[in-house]
Amino acid sequence: MEKDIGAVMVVGAGIGGIKASFDLAELGFKVYLIDKSSNIGGTLSQLDKQFPTNDCGMCQMLPIFKREEASEFCLRRDLTHPNIQIMTNTEVEKVEGSVGNFKISFKKKARYIKEDKCIGCGLCTEVCPIEVKDEFNEGLTSRKAIYIKYPQAIPNLYTIDIESCNRCGECVKVCPTNAIDLSQKDEILELEVGAIILSSGFEEFNPHSLHQYGYREYPNVVTSIELERMLSGMGPYNGRFIRPSDGKMPRKIAFLQCIGSRDKERDYCSSACCMIALKEAMIIKDIDPTIDVQIFFMDMRTFGKGYYRYYEKVKEKGIKFIRCKVPAIEEFSDTKNLKIIYETEKGDYVKDEFDLVILSVGQTPPDKAKNISETLGLKLNKYGFCKTIDFSNVIAKEGIYTCGSFSGPKDISETIVEASAAALEVSRVMLSSRGKFSGEDNYPQEIDATNEDPKIGIFICHCGQEISSIIDIKEVEKFASKLSNVQLVKDFKYLCFKSDLDKVKKEIADSKINRVIFAACTSYKYEVLFKKAVRQVGLNPSLLQIVNFREQISWVHKDKKLATEKAKKFLSMAVEKSILQQPLPLITDSVIKRVLVIGAGLSGMVAAFSIAKQGFEVDLIEKSSELGGNAREIYWTLEGLDAQNFLKEKIKQIEENKLINIYKNTELEEVTGYAGNFKAVLKIDQSESKVVPYGAIIVATGAKENKPKEYLYGKDKRIITQREIEKLIANREIDVNSQSSIVMIQCVGSREEPHLYCSRVCCSQAIKNALKIKEENPKANIYILYRDIMTYGFKEEYYTKAREMGISFIRYDVENKPHLEIKENKLEIRVTDPVLNEELVINPGLVVLSTGMIPEDNRSLAKVLDVPLNEDGFFEEANIKFRPVEFLRDGIFVCGLAHSPRSIEESIVQANAASAKAVILLSQERILSRRYIAEVNERWCSGCEVCISACPFKARVIDEEKKIAKVIPTLCRGCGICTTVCPNGATKLKGYEDKQILSVVDAAI
Amino acid sequence: MAKEVIVEVKDGKVKETINSFLNGLLEKNLVSALLVPREVPSKDNVAQSLVNNPDELKEANVIAPVLPVNSAGIISDMTRLSPYKSPVGVILRSCEIRALIELVKLKQASLDNLLIIGVDCLGTYSVSDYQSLCKQGSSPSDELLRKFKEGEEDAQLREACRVCEYPIPSNADLVIGLIGVDFEKNILLESHTKKGEEILEKFSFSEFNQLKERKESISKYINGKIEKRDTLFSQTKEEASGWENLLSVFSTCINCHNCMKVCPICYCRECFFESPTFEFDSGKYLGWAKRKGSIKMPTDTILFHLGRMSHMATSCVGCGACEQACPSNIPLLKIFKTVGYNVQEIFKYVPGRDLEEPLPLTTFKEEELQNVGEE
Repeated sequence: MEKDIGAVMVVGAGIGGIKASFDLAELGFKVYLIDKSSNIGGTLSQLDKQFPTNDCGMCQMLPIFKREEASEFCLRRDLTHPNIQIMTNTEVEKVEGSVGNFKISFKKKARYIKEDKCIGCGLCTEVCPIEVKDEFNEGLTSRKAIYIKYPQAIPNLYTIDIESCNRCGECVKVCPTNAIDLSQKDEILELEVGAIILSSGFEEFNPHSLHQYGYREYPNVVTSIELERMLSGMGPYNGRFIRPSDGKMPRKIAFLQCIGSRDKERDYCSSACCMIALKEAMIIKDIDPTIDVQIFFMDMRTFGKGYYRYYEKVKEKGIKFIRCKVPAIEEFSDTKNLKIIYETEKGDYVKDEFDLVILSVGQTPPDKAKNISETLGLKLNKYGFCKTIDFSNVIAKEGIYTCGSFSGPKDISETIVEASAAALEVSRVMLSSRGKFSGEDNYPQEIDATNEDPKIGIFICHCGQEISSIIDIKEVEKFASKLSNVQLVKDFKYLCFKSDLDKVKKEIADSKINRVIFAACTSYKYEVLFKKAVRQVGLNPSLLQIVNFREQISWVHKDKKLATEKAKKFLSMAVEKSILQQPLPLITDSVIKRVLVIGAGLSGMVAAFSIAKQGFEVDLIEKSSELGGNAREIYWTLEGLDAQNFLKEKIKQIEENKLINIYKNTELEEVTGYAGNFKAVLKIDQSESKVVPYGAIIVATGAKENKPKEYLYGKDKRIITQREIEKLIANREIDVNSQSSIVMIQCVGSREEPHLYCSRVCCSQAIKNALKIKEENPKANIYILYRDIMTYGFKEEYYTKAREMGISFIRYDVENKPHLEIKENKLEIRVTDPVLNEELVINPGLVVLSTGMIPEDNRSLAKVLDVPLNEDGFFEEANIKFRPVEFLRDGIFVCGLAHSPRSIEESIVQANAASAKAVILLSQERILSRRYIAEVNERWCSGCEVCISACPFKARVIDEEKKIAKVIPTLCRGCGICTTVCPNGATKLKGYEDKQILSVVDAAI
Repeated sequence: MAKEVIVEVKDGKVKETINSFLNGLLEKNLVSALLVPREVPSKDNVAQSLVNNPDELKEANVIAPVLPVNSAGIISDMTRLSPYKSPVGVILRSCEIRALIELVKLKQASLDNLLIIGVDCLGTYSVSDYQSLCKQGSSPSDELLRKFKEGEEDAQLREACRVCEYPIPSNADLVIGLIGVDFEKNILLESHTKKGEEILEKFSFSEFNQLKERKESISKYINGKIEKRDTLFSQTKEEASGWENLLSVFSTCINCHNCMKVCPICYCRECFFESPTFEFDSGKYLGWAKRKGSIKMPTDTILFHLGRMSHMATSCVGCGACEQACPSNIPLLKIFKTVGYNVQEIFKYVPGRDLEEPLPLTTFKEEELQNVGEE
């Protein structure tokens, strides 16, 4: 049995599991990241491009700390981290114990491949006679019985699908490293961990059961995930956009939304499908703008930050939006085109023909959710998603946390937020183990090679025959040994094997080599291994160069002579670079163990409390004289939880916590310094200024309810906002029973300029208040005039309930808004009902306006913090999907309404995610810079500050005394932008210096 | 802020009239010094001088049609380490002010306490042409005024000036106006800022009332220039496009780096191309010669020009100082102005237009230059 102090199990290695693992690793825990599939990546590995930038961006969530032994490449390809042990093909069998002490039995399914032997050469696949449908491309292509799940898979080890395998043994014969073992058996492993994070994600809804859509029956009816594969460059059609039946490009495409969502059986909204459809539609329009794309939908749920603007952008591309649920699809047997008959909102029947129909399938719980939950004693909701405790989106029960769609449908950014929050919960219950585990090796004292004459050792890998069958290794060796400063050239059969690598280490030590070149395969997999090897013999890892003989030469060239010439060039280039390469140190910096939280609303208080719970001192500043912010005006949640009580508890908790210092009537006046070492000036009671050092800063300044100019607001006391009515009801200042007719108007001042965004909470707020009234006074006529109802996730049930209780929902178009006037002291609303297509006149006793949230005037704070605001005035995070609570300026984090409108639970989870980031930073004993960072040549710098404005990470400042630029080493990411904007090379990127690059170019031509 | 007044010109003496106004600035203690071009003792050139004593203004000639140096660099030298503490007047041409604005954005100069006095520019001769014109006995200053008045083209003016679309100074506190003004009788003084207006209030000049005529003349004059500029652009494209043409254009470069030294925008303390990055072992030279059969010496001359171009193209104001300084007669102005204009067009950036307009290199927009690399 393996036993570890401070170990955590993360179940499910999709985007949420990976993120949680990274955060836990940075917090200094040991992580077992398990996945039942043969590779990590989850659903995201099937999606090539993410809204809103329509690129991938997954790499943005790579860890910032403890990265020396971690891989820093594309996360779709590789994930190596000394604190994370990845266990694929593994499933949980049994769990015993409780928080702090779980005993877990796993079943590790046999891969039939010895993981330490497989070199990923692919010879086995070539000889395998079995062809089966490929799950990765959603069955649109085929694969062999011995295969890699997807081309960029990690680990890039082959696997045998034993059910399909006929055990012919062909693969065993060709495997050059004897890595295949057909007698392998499933293994049962046991581990002890202190906490568990469940991130098993979702399964896409299988529309096969909905016979009316002919899925799997009509070839041109595909799901949205299948479409993702069809659009992918590595998909079944190699990036050509064609339809399955005849290989022609579809000219007319329909998207059908809410397939497997918002129906009788699944009365929830899958939350992400609208945005996926919009993104896919956009990508299709980018391929060919003349393709006719139509989206059939019920409500366009563009409720997240930036979603609505994206929707507007999609509309500009000429995509048609038709509001209706399509009842069925028929196929024309000759053309395989698809017939759709639908009823428009106005009641007309329209018949239309499409080349391709996309079913926007929803999220359903993973099939094993039930097993896992039973094993762990967790509760599931009626659809099979995991339940979390009140006011928490991540606590399933103490010691067991969730993130992502396992607890309900989510998109990427919410999953990422929950992953960080879950990691923080783990750190809370396992506090004594935080920072205790480091999987990094111990290395001998580094040899100082700075002033030594370069002595280069070149080590060439045959990769069995993969390299040596194309490249004439002997000839390359003869050539390379004559290059300047080359001390020795050796070749090996498998450099990635320990036996060969040990020989290399001995050669380096014996010949006192101080510059090392490996000529092998793709560096993604082996860079970490090779780096370790040179460090073990006392060399600085920056003295290692890797050239890729396999993927870049032997696998792509057939002409042996030319391939050999290319290999020689590669080595010449590497030698030139090596000669000029200096050992690059890691520069260290200290961290101040104190956090500033700006804003004592709910998010700020949660953040302060969570950070204090981790043992760090927190200054919580609030510009007003009261704690609580917006939450003071929320009395209950849609789900019926008592918000006021929760708020009172929170206030009590923070007031009692000795590590939290509360400063009321206090504002932030100035911030200097950088992550780990900020210096802030607090202005207390508008007079006293106090200078305090902080390691991290959290922005939780909230937002406010919009007080509209529309609909005669403020002119009549019968016209009020949602918050106002909530307060009246809560304080019993309104007699609900006397109200016979109430009209609620949604999107007042929202989703149009100047507030071109959805405030996310107002639909729930309206339904919440309408239900409250209706429950007390069932006779009241309540009308909700809306544009799209945004009851995402399980909030949908309340929308259904509201309709069942007789609340009338009347849709209006933004071009044809309801009209409110006061006639003879009576309120009169006129609205065109699109279903009846006639004008309704209502005389309500009360008009309630859902006015949305607008940001505080954040401009001066943004300037003080030197962080950006988005076009709506909310704080703009580093990356909307993958870094949702960070700014590009390190050490400053954002949460709550200051980020964007969100519910109480969502604010809490985001506050915890931001806290996790601050705690990760503060829990570092010292911060290390990277090796490849910028440096300023003081004599040359003119102090023009162009580099300072160009640096995205605020890693450059002006040295006021010398009037020249200087680099903050721990902030520099080595992107090199400064070196490109600096006209005279006064800034250089270490390891990529002009002289090196010119020499390399020279060697290349 | 905008105030236009006239100063009477006696006996057609434009230069002297301007000098008397400048004199007033010093005598009334409105400025503590003036940076003005003054005639050199041999009277065949002018040199910028910082004048404190009003008597020294006798030699001042702000309309001398010659630009030995672009004064933006001089102002950078004077103010980079510390700005002026008391008001200093600087008399500049449009290209000098525009370059100065760029240098301020690049933190290489400070406008604090500077009173910028711009002069309408009718163009300048090269230093050598100016000298020979002086030696022929005429006054090039008066001669150019005459030619301008009579609408006569002067083909001897520097190409930079013949195609310059910015004859009127912008971003000045005061402008000395000649175009569209009957300068035989009056010259115009125009304030563009509060600072300039306050200066004019200290004098008792009469109102200028031919603003409309001035505007019309200016726009006609500029349109003529733009036409010539565009002809130059198309010529340059023909002459310098492609590798072969580029090689031939720069083939005579002797690597003296004069162009860099006189360029007001080249603000590096030490030029990258004079750095150790370009010092090589003898073996390298031999290696190159071996590989290519021969190498032209000095090496890296084209790389120098292309490198310099990439550094200053967004800020090039087209003053042509580079071309004037070139001993090998390389047509630098045409190439740099053509490239500069096209690059600036991409960013909708006009160097020297506005101090608040950020330098293109310091702004990054997600959705710009999407089609780079595509034809």
